[in-house]
Parts: sequence; structure tokens; C-alpha cells
Amino acid sequence: MDSLVARYTRPAYEEEGQSHQDQQELSRAGPELSLKFALPPVAQSASWLRAMTDDYSNPNCPIKIAHGTTTLAFRFKGGIIVATDSRATAGNWIASQTVKKVIEINNCLLGTMAGGAADCQYWLAFLGMQCRLHELRHKRRISVAAASKILANLVYSYKGMGLSMGTMCAGVTPQEGPALYYIDSDGTRLAGNLFCVGSGQTFAYGVLDAQYSYDLSDEDALELGRRSILAATHRDAYSGGSINLYHVKEDGWVKHGFNDTNPIFWETKLNKGEFSNVTSELV
Amino acid sequence: MEVLLGITGKDFTIIAASKAAMRGATILKASDDKTRALNPHTLMAFSGEAGDTVQFAEFIQANVQLYSMRNGMELSPAATANFVRGELARALRSRRPYTVNLILGGYDTITDKPTLYWIDYLASCAPVPYAAHGYAQYYCLSLLDKHHHPDISFDQGMKILRMCTEELKRRLPIDFKGVIVKVITKDGIREQEYEDDVKVVVP
Amino acid sequence: MSAIFSGAPPQDGLGYSFKQSPTAVPSGERQHGFYPYTDNGGSTLGISGADFTIMAGDTRSTHGYNINTRYAPKLFKIGGEGPDNKGARIVLSVVGFAADGDALQEKMDTIVKMYKYQHGKPITVSACAQRLSHVLYNKRFFPYYVHAILGGIDEDGKGALYSYDPVGSYEREQCRAAGAAASLIMPFLDNQVNFKNQYMPGSGTGHDLKVRQAQPLPRNTVEDLVRDAFTSAVERHIEVGDGLQMMIITKDGIEETYTPLKRD
Repeated sequence: MDSLVARYTRPAYEEEGQSHQDQQELSRAGPELSLKFALPPVAQSASWLRAMTDDYSNPNCPIKIAHGTTTLAFRFKGGIIVATDSRATAGNWIASQTVKKVIEINNCLLGTMAGGAADCQYWLAFLGMQCRLHELRHKRRISVAAASKILANLVYSYKGMGLSMGTMCAGVTPQEGPALYYIDSDGTRLAGNLFCVGSGQTFAYGVLDAQYSYDLSDEDALELGRRSILAATHRDAYSGGSINLYHVKEDGWVKHGFNDTNPIFWETKLNKGEFSNVTSELV
Repeated sequence: MEVLLGITGKDFTIIAASKAAMRGATILKASDDKTRALNPHTLMAFSGEAGDTVQFAEFIQANVQLYSMRNGMELSPAATANFVRGELARALRSRRPYTVNLILGGYDTITDKPTLYWIDYLASCAPVPYAAHGYAQYYCLSLLDKHHHPDISFDQGMKILRMCTEELKRRLPIDFKGVIVKVITKDGIREQEYEDDVKVVVP
Repeated sequence: MSAIFSGAPPQDGLGYSFKQSPTAVPSGERQHGFYPYTDNGGSTLGISGADFTIMAGDTRSTHGYNINTRYAPKLFKIGGEGPDNKGARIVLSVVGFAADGDALQEKMDTIVKMYKYQHGKPITVSACAQRLSHVLYNKRFFPYYVHAILGGIDEDGKGALYSYDPVGSYEREQCRAAGAAASLIMPFLDNQVNFKNQYMPGSGTGHDLKVRQAQPLPRNTVEDLVRDAFTSAVERHIEVGDGLQMMIITKDGIEETYTPLKRD
């Protein structure tokens, strides 16, 4: 009888207002990067989330998450070049033309953003936190290999839940020299010299592969990165806006501008005679 | 995974088509020629649904040749392109359309200019300075955007084609067994020797 | 093979995770469809100036073709005192699903208040903006169906405006429109606030044209722009109308105004 009573008795107003746990969370001091996520009250939370947010499988989905990108990074003798476009799309709607797709994890580590904008922003910020904790605990900077592995393991633990990110971690450390890793939400983690990620990746690869060499000068490398993104913004409708350029060197990264593609396109066409398929004549 | 490429230059048009004939996960033939000469100055390269491709190409070939015989003159590349487009559009609205993508390279002997037409299976037709079909579009168009100029020489044209095929070898997950290259100039159509066993490294 | 003929980019290497998730439904129990969202329509917008930020939103709340009410504010003062939120310096606007919007507003209000009680100073807009991002992302797998915009004054006294997607990606911007009429209002704002596609008169023709550089606009100009944006949106969107609520955040506090809009 007591057990029955205990089972069906609840304190008055238990369901009202915030639970004790909620209150604790609210009163905690700093804004935190939590690993506790609310889940919908259904058995198949992943397929539910897909029905609500994946506009590729369901164009009428109610929640459109920003997508679509071209990002690239390559290693060369002078360090690493990181370049991205700046367009965010939700379906056919251009949600923004000024997205910062290079995420400054700390003053010598960069991450790039392709796939879900929020996923990349949040988890690269989380990675930044982990890197700083590593520094404080071990009194030296984290290697790019270790940092990228933290991220890869993290996203792998959420595999199948619907995270969507394709990111590159670029950094120069005394142990490794210039190091570049590709990580995506499937759990892939690859070290390499050259990666392009996003819907415009193939177009960027086309230009980049043709002239890439490890012995590029700093100026040529920057120009090649810029030109590859321009090629992708020209051919891929989901890419556009501005070109965001970074150069990662031994003593940290240097930003080389956030420039609108339109004047760069016309300059390239008119001064170098490229893009000969663009004409003003009507056939 | 079939590759079709076309590049025009100062006085020539280059057409390249992959040599692999694929059915499902099998390569049936590694020396397939996906082109047909329609008349002495027009060459058509095709890809798409098995069966449709050759049927359509040879149907067009026969009709263009019939025109030459009846009228004692060649159909110009522009006229050929519009004829091909028309036939494709007519078929598209029939009970069983042809699922064929085409690139039509030619040399117009009257205006003395090389020509290139891009035609897809929905019968879109556009004159272009360079063209690609299938996955080659995603890798080669950006390259051609950068390196192509309307007045390039034949050697430069071949150099750009080499860049394209190397990029495809580097990045396409399936081996397309190299390309057949044909060139159309004022002297007609000829096949161009093309080295296919060059090693390409992925950086 | 049919992929060759589609105009879409190759999907193999580009779409990330979703493919891997289990496609088969487990045998055994079947569930009712779970659809906890509805769209309550309406639109919001925010524009930041040199020393102020203006937030605005219409007050209509709809459900399908029905109008629920003609006065349901989408603008909320965050972290003030008492029922009127006295002394607040941050405004949150939410558009989309009103219940999620209310839940989010309540949560942010509590967070900002708790911050003040614990630290003895008001939260900065940048900190509040980051916290809002985390609050949204904490529901990454069961999202708030809202587009949020946060406005305030930053540490340098400049107008600050942050916009969010439903799962918390955020960016500081000069102007942003959200909600049903975003696609009508945003192009107007691009042209009138950021001077997109505007050139200096007499600077030449063709490629010689000099682009007109964007600069912070004076307050009365911005107020006029906001009213124009909404009166125009009302003309062409059924979910927008009834009233325009504006909040102007300056260093002296928040001024609130209400302008009637067409009610048809």
C-alpha cells in the first residue's frame, strides 16, 4: 500500500515552473558550453529531427538550417592558406552574405565552417575551450593533431543524431610544423596537404590542383587561394558573397582581408581576360 | 561518370570523350568511341542512357548525311546544332524521349570560325567557348574559366585539355580509362594522339 | 546513374551525417506523429546605428489564415526590473512559433537577471548574445522554432545587433529582417542601410562607377525606414499587419512606440 501511495503521490505544483535542475542551471555563473542537450520526446529522435530540419530530403521542412559553402585550405612551404566564401543559404534563400566561415579558435589555430553553421560555431568554440584547458593543464600549446582528434571524437559520439559539419583545422606548432586536418560529422579525420570542402569544393579543386605546389611563394599561395574561391563562387550558386583569406604562420595567423567577390571577378575578367564564357552579347 | 569535354581556340575545336563503356559496376570496354562525325566539319560527342546514345547519334548522323546528299552541300555547324536540338526536343515530347547529353564541335567554313554547342537531354542548346558534361563539369569548368582564352593556339588548347584530364584522374573516384581526343579544323576532323598513362599524384 | 542528369551537385561527398542514421523504424511500438510546431507568422527587424539600435516587429499573430490576435508583441525587454522591465538595456525579438518564442524570452530574462544578481553588474550585449546562442544550441536536437534578433548598446556605446538561426548560429550585423516577410524586407534594407547596388552619382559609367560606402544612419532616418519597410510588407504579406511595435535602445534606456498598421 505504501509503495502504491508513493508511486501515485507527487508534491503539489511539481510540474509548474522550472525544475530544480533547471534552476541550478540558470543560476550557474558563466555561460557554459554544455554537453547536455534537450531531446524530443519520441523514440526516433534522429529521424524526427531530419523531418523537421533537413530541407534536402523534405523541402517543406519547418526549420531551415543555414547550409552551403566553399572552403579550402592548403599547406605550403610558407605555412597554410585558409580561404572561404561568405554565403549562408537556407533552401533557396540567401540568409547572409557576410558569414565568417573561418573560425579563430585561438591565435595560432584556425577552423573552417561548412555544413550547419551553428554546429560549426558551437563545436569549434567548444574546441577552443578544450585547447585552452589543455594549455593550462600541461603548460604548453596543444598540437593540431590532438586538437583535431578532440573534435573528431566529439562529433563521432553524436554520429547519426543529425550533426552536419565539414571542417578543417589548420595550425602551426613547433612539434609538427604546419599541420592541416579535415574532420567531418561522419567521424572522418584526415591529415593532408590540401582540402576543399562544401558544395563548391569541386570547382575550387579544379583551379587549386592545377597550380598547387608545396614550394609556392607567399604571394602566389594567397592569390591561388583567392582565385580558387572566386572560381567556386562563379560556378556554385550556393557559394558567394566575399572572399575571406587567412595565412597561418609559425607565429600565428594573419588575416588577409574580407573582400567582396564582385569587383574581384570583374578585375580578373577585364585585366586577365579570364571567364571568357561571360559575354555581353546575346545569341 | 562519363566524361565529355569541348574546347574551342583560334582555329580549331577539340572534343574529348572518355573511353570507358560502363554498365553498373562493370567496365565492358576500355576503348569506346563516344563520338560520331555528322559531316566533314561537325563532330558530335554523346553520353547518357545506354542504347539511347548510339541510336540517337546514328539517327542524327544519317539525317545530316542525307541532307548533304540531297542538297549537294554541307549543313553548317550552327544549322546542325539547331537540327539536333529540334530532334531532341521533339523526342522529349514523345512517348519515349532520348536521354542523351551532347557536345557538338565544329568548324564553320563560311565564317572561318570554330564552333561549340552544349546540348543536354532536355534540349537546352547554347553556343559556348568551352563545355563539359557529367561530373567533368564540376571539376573542369572552373579550370577552363581560369585558363581559357578565345584566341589560344592548338598547343595551348591541348595543354588546357591535359590539365582537365589530369584533374579528373586525380579527383574522380572511378577510372574512366582515359579519353579519345578529336580535333576539328578547316581541314576536317582528325583523331589526335593522346597519352593516357601519365601518373597523376593527389597532393 | 540518374544522378548524371540532375542539376544538383554530386551528393556523395557533400551531404554529411544524415545518410548514416538508421532508416528502418524499429519493430514493435508505433508512435503518433509528433509535430509540436506551428508558424504564427509576423515579421521582425532590427537596425543598429552609431549610438542606438532600433528593434521592430508587427503585432499580428496568425494560425493558417486565422488571425489569433491583433496585439501579441514579438519584442521583449530582457533583464529589467519588475513587470515593466525597468532599466533593461537589451531587447530580444523572436518570430516563428510564438510558444517557443515566449519560452526563449522567459529563459533569457531569467539568465540576464541571474547574471546581474550574481555579478552585481548588468550583462554586456556581447555576452548576452553568446549566451543566447548557447541556449538555442542546447536544443539542437529539439529546436526552438524561432528566428531571434538581439539588440542593445555595446561596451563602446555603439548600437549592437545580433541575429540567430533556429539552432544558434549567430553574427553581428548592421541590419536584419526575420520572419514571414523577411524576403520582402531584407532586400530593401540591403539597399537602404548597407547601400547595396548604390553608386556615387557622377563617378563615371560602367566599371568606373564608385560604390557608395555604407555609414551609420541618423535615428530619424532609420525610424522612417522601419515604418516604410512594415507598411510595404503589410501590403504584400497576409501574415503581417495590425500594429507596429518599435523599441529604440539608447544609452538612456528603451523608448517604446506603437504605430497602427492596416488591419485587413
